[in-house]
Formats: sequence, C-alpha cells, structure tokens
Amino acid sequence: MKVLAPISSYEELEMLAESGAEEFYCGIVPREWLERYTGAVWLNRRNPKGGSLQTLSELKQLVDGARRYGIPVFITLNAPYYTAEQLSWVMELARALDGEVGVDALIVTDINLLMQLSQLKLRAALHVSSVAATLNSEAVDFLLQFGPSRIILPRSLTVPEIEKMVAGYRDQVEIEVFILNDGCAFEEGFCATTHHHTVGAFCTSLSEMEAEFEGNRGRRLTFRQTVRLRRNLSHYREWVWYVNGNGCSVTPNGLPYGPCGLCAIPDFYRIGVASLKIVGREASPLKKLASVKMVREVVNRTRAGAPRLRVIERAKALRQTPEHCNSGYMCYYKVNDATTE
Amino acid sequence: MRGGGHQDVIAMEWSIHISGDEEAGATLRPGDINNFDCGLKLRPVLALTAQLIEEYFGPVRFTRCAYGNEFCEHLLPTVERLEAVVSAARRCGLQLTFLTPYVSDAGIEALKPLLNLLNKNGEPCEVVFNDWGVLNLIRREFSKVVPVQGRLLNKSLRDPRITGMYAATAPGFVPQAAVVSLRRSNLDCSSYAGFLSRMGVASVELDNLPQGVDLSFTENGLKANVYLPFGFISTSRICMAAGLHYQKKEKFQPGAPCQRECQTHLLEYSYTNSPLGNKDQKFYLKGNTYFYYHTEAMLRTLFEQARSGLINRLVFQPRLPMMWERPSKLMEERR
Repeated sequence: MKVLAPISSYEELEMLAESGAEEFYCGIVPREWLERYTGAVWLNRRNPKGGSLQTLSELKQLVDGARRYGIPVFITLNAPYYTAEQLSWVMELARALDGEVGVDALIVTDINLLMQLSQLKLRAALHVSSVAATLNSEAVDFLLQFGPSRIILPRSLTVPEIEKMVAGYRDQVEIEVFILNDGCAFEEGFCATTHHHTVGAFCTSLSEMEAEFEGNRGRRLTFRQTVRLRRNLSHYREWVWYVNGNGCSVTPNGLPYGPCGLCAIPDFYRIGVASLKIVGREASPLKKLASVKMVREVVNRTRAGAPRLRVIERAKALRQTPEHCNSGYMCYYKVNDATTE
Repeated sequence: MRGGGHQDVIAMEWSIHISGDEEAGATLRPGDINNFDCGLKLRPVLALTAQLIEEYFGPVRFTRCAYGNEFCEHLLPTVERLEAVVSAARRCGLQLTFLTPYVSDAGIEALKPLLNLLNKNGEPCEVVFNDWGVLNLIRREFSKVVPVQGRLLNKSLRDPRITGMYAATAPGFVPQAAVVSLRRSNLDCSSYAGFLSRMGVASVELDNLPQGVDLSFTENGLKANVYLPFGFISTSRICMAAGLHYQKKEKFQPGAPCQRECQTHLLEYSYTNSPLGNKDQKFYLKGNTYFYYHTEAMLRTLFEQARSGLINRLVFQPRLPMMWERPSKLMEERR
C-alpha cells in the first residue's frame, strides 16, 4: 500500500520524496490549451492557473528526478470528456508524455480517451480516475476491457463496499482510494458544475444562498416541519464546511484540516488497497509536506503491525483537532473505532 | 406566433415521465398541468413549457412513457410496481423506457429482478443506464432489453450559474472555442459513437444545456433524446433529506439507508449571491440531486432544434424526477 502525493513542481520533489511520498501525480496544462480555452474549459479537473505544470521539459525534469528516488509519476488527463477537436490534441500530448517524458501512468476519466489510449499500446500504464465514478463491481468488470492497471475509487464508497470490490478484482487491477484533504459534497463524476473562480464551487456557493422549503405537491409545511427541515439544512451546511477543508483553514501550526480517511488505513491495508491518494495538487508546498508526513506516519505504524485501535488513536492525535474528528463530518469513511481487539 | 405554427413538424417521439401506472394514459395540454400536482414553485415553469409545446407542436400525443429514476438507488420501484407500469403501458399502447440510476453493488442486486422482468417482457424494452456497471450487467445477463446511454453519462458542463453566461458573452468573457466545446461532449467523436454502437447503444439521453447543446453528433448515427423542462446540475450518494432522521453526528453518510424523506418536500435556492448579475436564478434540490429549469429562451432554442429534425425524442417531466411510489396495501399484502 503506497502513499500517493500531489506534486506541482520540481522544487517540491526532494521535500516530498524525503518525507515519505511513494508515488506522485500531477497535471500539465500547456500554454496552447490555456490560450485556446482559457479557464472556462479545464484539461485536467484543476484550474489551469493552479496546480499544474506548463511545459513538457519541466515535467521531464520532475519525472527524471523522481526516477532517481525510484518514485513513479502519474499524469492527470482526467477531464470528464474531450471533444473531437480536443481528443486529437490530448492524444498527441499523451504520446509525448509516454515517449519523450516517460511518465509512468496516465489518469483518465473519459471512456473514449481510455479506449483510444488502450489501443496505442503505450509504455505508460492507464489509471481510471475517480471521476469515472466506478461505484460497483460491475463497473470494474466493464473497465477491465480497456486494460487499466489501476482504478481510483470515488470518495463516496464505504469501507465494506471497497473491500468487496478489491476482493473481487485483486488479481486483475489495483485499487486506489482517497485518504486526505478536500472532499466533494457531490458524486464527483456526476457533478456537472465548474469550480471556476468567478462562481466558486457549487456546494459552497449553495451554503450562502437563500433557501426555501415547499411541501410535496405544493402543500404548506407546518411550523414544526419547517423547523426540522431548517435544522437539517443547517447541519448539512456545516458538513459542507468540513468537506471544503474546514472552510479552507489550517491549524495554528499549519497542518491541513479537512476530510480525512486516516482511521481507515489499517482496514485498507488489510483489504489490500494498493494506494492512498492525498488530494491537493494546487495546495501549498507546506500543506503537501504536512499531509505526506501525516499519512506516512499512520502507514508506517500499520505496516509495523501496530494494533488497529492504536493506529486509529494515533491518527486522531495527528490531526490535533479532536473536536473536528468527533464531529463525525470530517471522515471520508466511517470506521468502527469502538470495539476492543 | 413566434413558434411559427406547427404544420411542418417532423416525426419526433414524445415521451412522458410517469410516477406510476395510473399516469400511463396522460395527455399534455396547458390545462393538464393541474393533474401533475407540481406545487407552486414549479408550476410557472410547467405552465410555460406546456404553452410553448402547444405553440410549436400543437396537441401532443405521448407514444412512450418513462418510468424509474436516474439518481437514487433507494428510489428503485418494487417488481410489482414495475409490473403494473408494464401492463398499463401495454394497455395504453405506449412504449416503455425504464430509467436506472448510478448504483452501488447493493443497487446492482436490487436492479436484477427489475431487469429480469423487462427481459422476459414480450416486446424489447428500453433501459436507460447511467452507470457503466449497469450496462455491463445488461449486456451479460439481460440481452433482450435495449440499452440507452443516460444523461448522467453525458458529461457536458451544465452549471446554470455561469455556462449560460459564457455563451451569452462570448467571445468577450470566454473564447468561442471554449463555448463550442462546452456545447459538445465526447459524443462528437466518431470513435465514441462507434464504441456505443458496439455496446448495442443507438440512443443517448441529454439535458438541454444553459449554454445550448450542439446536436451535430447525430450525424454519427446516434439518436438524441432530450429532457425538459428540468436539467440536472449535480447529484450525490450523500443525501441531505436522508439526514432528517439521523442524529447529527450520524448524518450525511454515503448511501445511508433512508425513509425516502425526499418525497415530502423540495428545497428552492435563490442565486442571491451571484457575482454575475443573474440573481433571479433558482435551483431546486429534491432528495440527493440539484436541478435547474429551462428558461423560455432555452425552450425555444430546443424546440427549433426539434423542428429541424435533430432530436429523436423529447421527454417531458412534469415533476422533478425523483418520484417514488409507496407500494399499495394490496401489493404489500401480496409480498
């Protein structure tokens, strides 16, 4: 089980590699794309002005540097779709990433792109992005026809659901899961909104809008019903605040807040999950560093055979915010942490 | 008459999304809106839609009905309910399309008896899939049903806060190339059309996009079915309404069991915090899914496209498509 870290420049390489990152992923948005489509159409699920490299030479420097550490680099080509015009451009980019740059894997969402790449017989492996919304074992089975070496599961699956999928396909494909930073209030693969800076994320934008309930078929709600619904809405908005990295805040000593699956690491290790993904290509180097250290410490304890509840206890201590852990809203995955072992 | 009369309307299928067998014989004229119990908030949208349909197409006769839902596996009907709809559709001379949502492994299991029923049906029945796993299941076990790609698998952005503004202000706000790509999807790649064809898929379902939808992909041989007057914005396995009956700490878990609380209410959002001036926009949350509604301009554009022969079918949804029928007492007893 590897620790997969985001990286957005060569300058971050040494720091993250020395701190425990075992795999890297990043994006590239060449200037030509930006000029043609601006920030209105994203090449790889991140604003082109943040979190991505811009040239193949920069990326090659990063890939070569990572290779010296023995760390593979994966590249996101994970827009939900590419039009015919974009597809030929992205295919050319993929060939360059595979040949000239020598990346280890391409992370893909669009089934059409996945199919096209699978026919090229690239050296680079293919990873299916979480945006492809692989929510069940049948979907894993469907995707195998394209020969991916890894499928990244959405954050919205439970540990038992993940366990079943890993058990069913352990010998055919690796499974990667999210482990730290940034949630998504929606099913990422079925969210048709943009995070364009002008309007921001839809989920957080909703929290600031006026909202009014109406009873089914237009009937008036009673005062009691309205109070209950409003209270639930308030709880939901609080949950969205957690999903959004606790309102994009950090602890007093600079540690990242936000959604987390650290307590599930012992379960993922037992299940046979291949990789734990830290979110945040666009995050500051400090946040990336703190995130890698945090995940790696929990992974190290797990690998060393520490009892599950001890690992969970340590994971919560690392977050340094028991009030947030206890809220129940900061967890990607609910795990049973109350039983004795 | 801006619609320009309806004498030259080409052959196009009309479908209605029904909530149960008793609606299989529904008609649609502006006056019929009362029959759909749509509520005060959505009533103006439906009234406008019905009025414009009349203007462009005259009296509409539904020849097909859609049943089921695309967004939540907890709203899958019972086999008995689906059986009743199959019978009613046959009785009324309607073709049937069964809508399925994105699903977990548990949802796959819940779908099997429903698909089995349709697979045994005398006539081939359309099943809309919004999950590649469901298509996989259909192809392996239920080869007599006709798979149709659902609108959740059409990945065009449809963010009503901004994508309509892109189109309205191009090339000032964004370049024309961006608007063109936002109106399209991977459907305009012949390779994708070929892939769908190999999967046995001949039709795809779409939303009418705030930025406009480019239907030129139909030249690749695919048929386009478009929904109106609502489009989906976003959906989630984590449902606000389902949280109603949980303790605060236990709320908002993926796929959490619910009591179908979504059937009791809807939530209307007003875009009062818009930075772009479109503060009169409304969005609707029903259960786990957010929807936008079609403006008059969007409807007129869609109907013009329909009249030019680019659309195979229009699917009229008189309610936000999150309906679920409580099994009747009789059916409960039979179970």
